[in-house]
Amino acid sequence: MMSLWDTAGGQTVTVTTLDAGLDQAVSSRLREMGLDNGLPVLCLRRGPFNGALVVAIADCVYSLEQKVASKIRVKPL
Amino acid sequence: MKRIILVGKPNSGKSLLFNQLTGLRQKVANFPGVTVELKSGRFDQYQLVDFPGAYSMSTLTRDEDIAVEKINQALLDQDTSLIICNLDATRLQSSLMFGMQMQALAHQYGKALVFALNMIDEVTRFGHQIDVAGLSRDLGAPVFALSAKTLDGIAEFKTAVIQLAAEADSSNLNTVALPPLDYSVQVKQSRLLATQYGMPSSVVLKKQNAIDAFMLNNVSGGIAFLLVMFLLFQSIFTFATPLMDAVENAIGVSASFITDLTGPGMLADFLNDALFGGLGSFLVFVPQIMVLTLIIGVLEDSGYLARAALICHRPLSYFGLSGRSFIPYLSAHACAIPAILAARTIESPRKRLITMLTVPLMSCSARLPVYALLVAVLIPDTRYLGGIVNLQGVAFFGLYLFGIVTALLVSLLLSRSAVTDNEKSDMPFILELPSYRFPHWKPLIHRVLSSAKQFIYRAGPVIFAVSLGIWLLGYFPTSAGGLEDSYLGVIGQWIEPIFEPLGLDWRYGVAILMSFLAREVFVGALGTLFGIDGADENIAGLAANIQADGLTFGAGMGILLFYVVALQCVATVATLKAETGSARLVGALVFGYGMLAYLLAMLCAQFL
Ligand SMILES: Nc1nc2c(ncn2[C@@H]2O[C@H](COP(=O)(O)OP(=O)(O)OP(=O)(O)O)[C@@H](O)[C@H]2O)c(=O)[nH]1
Ligand SMILES: [Mg+2]
Repeated sequence: MMSLWDTAGGQTVTVTTLDAGLDQAVSSRLREMGLDNGLPVLCLRRGPFNGALVVAIADCVYSLEQKVASKIRVKPL
Repeated sequence: MKRIILVGKPNSGKSLLFNQLTGLRQKVANFPGVTVELKSGRFDQYQLVDFPGAYSMSTLTRDEDIAVEKINQALLDQDTSLIICNLDATRLQSSLMFGMQMQALAHQYGKALVFALNMIDEVTRFGHQIDVAGLSRDLGAPVFALSAKTLDGIAEFKTAVIQLAAEADSSNLNTVALPPLDYSVQVKQSRLLATQYGMPSSVVLKKQNAIDAFMLNNVSGGIAFLLVMFLLFQSIFTFATPLMDAVENAIGVSASFITDLTGPGMLADFLNDALFGGLGSFLVFVPQIMVLTLIIGVLEDSGYLARAALICHRPLSYFGLSGRSFIPYLSAHACAIPAILAARTIESPRKRLITMLTVPLMSCSARLPVYALLVAVLIPDTRYLGGIVNLQGVAFFGLYLFGIVTALLVSLLLSRSAVTDNEKSDMPFILELPSYRFPHWKPLIHRVLSSAKQFIYRAGPVIFAVSLGIWLLGYFPTSAGGLEDSYLGVIGQWIEPIFEPLGLDWRYGVAILMSFLAREVFVGALGTLFGIDGADENIAGLAANIQADGLTFGAGMGILLFYVVALQCVATVATLKAETGSARLVGALVFGYGMLAYLLAMLCAQFL
């Protein structure tokens, strides 16, 4: 299944689930940020050499590293 | 005293609001995680406390831990009258996510709470309007729209806060505890309210995304980053040079004016050698400190720092650091102490520790005088490409770079060693990128001026005392300028063996040892020593005097590298001890950097 890490720059996807492997504090933070079931995320750009991803979630832009982005399950719109 | 606390999401304008309410000048900058400890001031008859920002009551970083821990204490404290929860009106959803958690807690503990809907000037600029009355009704708490920048709504807010706090004090609200609200209801509710009252995010993010398309682009972004860094270090040298010349001339003119008045004799000798030679040679560097502060300030307030942290995240990970380490590293070029505290925003305890331990290798402003003096002595003032590139400027850049590269290598070493093994509690790198803003000029100018003032106040008295001590010991009993035969000369012979392998005589030894009081003392001490030694009463240019005295290139480079690496600052050591909680670790660090510094200086003296 596709993760947020697999999205291309400019692509909007919908979050499905967060991997169970994530730390409790991290997954609740991600949910509060808006990475929650059924909500949209816009991938703004990918960094070179597997650098951090830049995503727009609700009213904020965040950068996320691979370690966490690859644990966020998404599906294309 | 009764207390009012000021809390909210990071980078939402809490500290600027705090400054407006208290008249103080806490640090304000445009990236999340500026305030990392509690700061208090007086507002009306209350103590107002500015908190570090937090995204949520469940925390990921040390600065958030501190905020939430202290919020919980404040909730239990009888003296807490009112909670001001600051919201960024342009980012209502993320602000309310924290805000509503705060509100629920306040409710549960029976504390009064008011929302400050800050940055309303930006909302207006976007042509949007927020239905404040509706928002207040739906939240069930008072809401005041205001701008801490343009001061719109501040007067009304002040009156309201005083009134609300007084009401809370006199009512028994503070004793009624209510059951907690359901967490998932809160999360949904804050999203709903944000959609209903907030601005469309596409409008808020449009400009920032357009700028990022350039600043974070793989090619242009990389070039921009390198350019910004190069300009930062180059300009400390180039922009400040004319100002420094002006200060030097002013000191020269006043020195000759005053010594003309006193006539020759011991007083003139003292004024020339200790006062103008010692203290004066240090004042010359004030403009450099100001230029450095200005540039760092512009970078911090523009919003670029978070981008730089993002760009650096991947490369820094390789050395066992986080992208967030970039921010302490950069600010350490002004001073290591706030930088060590700034490391609290780093998500992983291990990376935070490594960052703190390597921050002292960044060339802080106290090293500037030493660098500038010795670069002027050792490197010719050659210009290339029609004056754009100056060899001395490049040497300067090289010294900064040497510190950075050493820090990276030490980080690599530490991250591969057991000292910092703490893998389990590692949190991932998640960083909000704020909107770009034009730096707010008033606080910036104030910051530049206060950096100069602090530089003088901190090191000035020490330098004066050392200069005086050195002068007394060096002037007597001979007084005729025979430094070798003075009391100091005799003491100097004892310490000379330590410095001999570095190719340095005892005068440099005295200056280096004295600079453990404050690094800048090096310049003041040498200024005094060469002043006593100088046959003529000419204090023009300490650099020229050292050159004439024949400091070798290798020995001079040795001193420079010694100053890059050695951890000589007592205040930094104390801060490190407090933040790491381990005196042994810090002791080992001071010893390690000391040995490395000495070794490098020796290698330079022998082989260059
Ligand atoms: N336009 C505008 N900018 C503001 C306003 N208030 C604050 N800012 C800017 O927002 C940025 C963040 O301000 P701070 O006061 O440092 O924010 P903070 O909430 O204390 O941030 P942390 O300490 O990191 O939690 C700075 O660049 C301020 O100049 C406002 O009312 N209007
Ligand atoms: Mg602050």
